Amino acid sequence: MGDGEKADKAEKERRRIKSTEAMRELMTRYYVDAKTAGERGVKVAWITSGGPVEPLWCFDVIPVYPENHGAMCGAAHMAVELAEKAEERGFSRDICSYARCDFGSAYTGGGPIGGLPRPDFLVCCNNICNTVVKWYEELARYFQVPLFIFDTPFVRGGLKEHAAAYVLRQMEEYFAFLEGATGKEMDEARFLEVAARSLEAISLWKDILSCAENVPSPMTCFDAFILMAPVVTLRGTEGVISFYRGLLEEMRRRVEEGIAIIPGERLRLLWDNIPIWYEMRNLGRLFMEERACLVADTYTNAWTFDRVDVSRPMESLAEAYASVYLNIDLESMLEQVVALAGRFKVDGMIMHSNRSCKPYSLGQFDLARMFTERTGLPALIIEADHTDSRVYDRSDVETRIRHFLDLLA
Amino acid sequence: MEARDITDKCLDIWRDPYGFARGLKERGERPLAYFCSYAPEEIMHAAGFTPVRLMGATRNIASADAHLQAYCCAVARTDLDMALEGELDWLEGAVFVQTCDTMMRLSDIWRLNTSFPFHGDISLPVRMGEPVSLDYMREELASFRRSLEAYRGAPIAREDLERSIETYNRNRRLAGEVYRLRRERPEVLGGLEGTACVVAGLWMRKEEHNSLLEELLEGLDASDASDAAGGAGGDPLTPLFAAGSVCTTPDLFELARELRADIVDDDFCCGHRYIEGQVEPEGDDPLERIAERLSGRINCPAKHSAAEERTAYLAERVRACGAAGLVLFLQDFCEPWLFEVPFLKERLRDEGIPVLVLESDLQSFSRGQLRTRLQAFLETIRGV
Ligand code: SF4
Ligand code: SF4
Repeated sequence: MGDGEKADKAEKERRRIKSTEAMRELMTRYYVDAKTAGERGVKVAWITSGGPVEPLWCFDVIPVYPENHGAMCGAAHMAVELAEKAEERGFSRDICSYARCDFGSAYTGGGPIGGLPRPDFLVCCNNICNTVVKWYEELARYFQVPLFIFDTPFVRGGLKEHAAAYVLRQMEEYFAFLEGATGKEMDEARFLEVAARSLEAISLWKDILSCAENVPSPMTCFDAFILMAPVVTLRGTEGVISFYRGLLEEMRRRVEEGIAIIPGERLRLLWDNIPIWYEMRNLGRLFMEERACLVADTYTNAWTFDRVDVSRPMESLAEAYASVYLNIDLESMLEQVVALAGRFKVDGMIMHSNRSCKPYSLGQFDLARMFTERTGLPALIIEADHTDSRVYDRSDVETRIRHFLDLLA
Repeated sequence: MEARDITDKCLDIWRDPYGFARGLKERGERPLAYFCSYAPEEIMHAAGFTPVRLMGATRNIASADAHLQAYCCAVARTDLDMALEGELDWLEGAVFVQTCDTMMRLSDIWRLNTSFPFHGDISLPVRMGEPVSLDYMREELASFRRSLEAYRGAPIAREDLERSIETYNRNRRLAGEVYRLRRERPEVLGGLEGTACVVAGLWMRKEEHNSLLEELLEGLDASDASDAAGGAGGDPLTPLFAAGSVCTTPDLFELARELRADIVDDDFCCGHRYIEGQVEPEGDDPLERIAERLSGRINCPAKHSAAEERTAYLAERVRACGAAGLVLFLQDFCEPWLFEVPFLKERLRDEGIPVLVLESDLQSFSRGQLRTRLQAFLETIRGV
């Protein structure tokens, strides 16, 4: 190895986010736990990514997330073959590819971790989309297990009183459902503990994301996409807190030492929609070459529940779950996007028009236009699918991104 | 009017519904659009509006592509396109009921890009039909009622609401009669004609539609098989059941007829789902009664139902009407339905009911293609 190469390697090592290893360990342990739960007599629930997970931890049920698994399958380039298994059974290519991938994995045990452990029951919250309702109905038929639907009506303007009452009633029903499913009694003190830990995890996660406000940014949102797995999956547990404390420390250190994730950062961008999981590496390379840093996104920031009031945990959690980013009107979304753009000092926005995800993608054209009107910043819309790479046209997307970045610079 | 004239008139309306509805405005009515059979039409009607259904059109998209991606259903895309092109300027506004993800987003897109005086939103629960959602639903209807009242600048009187409930109940009863006739005496009323007469009511004030249906039923009662409206004559037609969301045009029914089949019953939300159930005629709270009817109906796939409920229900109805097969007529990209297809097919096959799935594509609509597939299906059923 020559001196130049050595220096290069050292520099790369300096820039690498070290906590990634701790996260891998944490997630591996979690998946091993989940997959061996049955042997230990521990129950497993499948739950949607926006669903209230705190009650599950409170009843010692291990939550498993088909969407997180879908993302893993996508990143491992295994999603298409799984989706094809679902298509062979008659599922249209026009339904969400996470769902197809999940069905395929359920039928075959395929995927990077050999499939998810069989659920004892299912919990579906439609605050992210209506798709999950249909998806979980099919899972309930396939596995022949009970399904609890936590219905969060769409919010226009603010959450109406009767809507808050409806979600709260369901929160109570949810606990009753869990008592039935586990044979355990609800333990109020335990719930408070879990909820408090969950809030702490979410607030740490928020602080971590905020570190990317620094110029140059210590992380990209592609890192955040990976590093968010624990807050999605394990919020409410102890392990997740110590992990995020470590990560926050690392990020703060990076800011202090001026370690940029993109050397020579010249452009800062906002990303909208779910990542294109199978393209993370290629796109990461492209942005690195262009010295453009994706400093924030609407996806990982969806985990920032800032209105939760610990003095009324049940109500306020129910309300927070009902008002997540995908369950609000376009103008409210715009407010959030504009605020992110300001906080993170971005030069423009890239929106992934995701064929699989209608609630996230329909309205993007108007959002882009309003965003530009409000901020004066340009927005680019690219077409893809979060896990179905068959509909992705790499050279077209890359050309368009490069062209956009040229215009910005 | 003779029964035949009535069915012809209704078929004409189905062929050009928006042309017909434009005339409403010219006659002094106040057309207010809705998209989904969960819309509480009684409230709109009581407020003095004529509720009219927007359910897509066969056309090329001119303006909607700048707002909606091509991967959502053509119903949403063509409705928006007509609005953006100014073809719906006779409307006073539109009412969006949250059904699927597409409709949920379409409401905002519509509101931001059109300038109709009224815009209504109702976020119906996905857990329809469960007691837990009933209060919520009632309150959603109440808040919708308030928004209509604020817009028209006057409260909706209780008597008016009760009268509208009565009118709609009457309409559903008459339409139910038409459906019964078409099922039981197909030689007197064909599926195409019967459905047309019900569908045409989607663009008419219900008082008028009620008179039309009464006249039709009287006329048919008097007629015998020889001068019936669309009756078969000759060989019996192969009876089919059809299900799906909406039939934007009568083509499916016409093709069936051309191929010597008859759709004797259906589960479309512009058909049987629309006329199902009644609002309790008496009781304290009209809104609660309206909410009860909506949640008492069999849920549309865009709402949650227990695992096998819908499929069992469909199988039962197919058997009851003696259909030889089921045609699922779906909108392209319609997730709520597409998710149900594999299970539905499997279960109905287990019961010996053949199933054909057709996807409607309103932009490059091909009657020929539809015909070929339907023909092949009928050949298998008939064993030729
Ligand atoms: S439609 Fe969107 S939010 Fe819903 S499951 Fe698919 S990716 Fe997730
Ligand atoms: S339910 Fe289906 S057909 Fe109806 S608007 Fe939604 S996607 Fe379109």
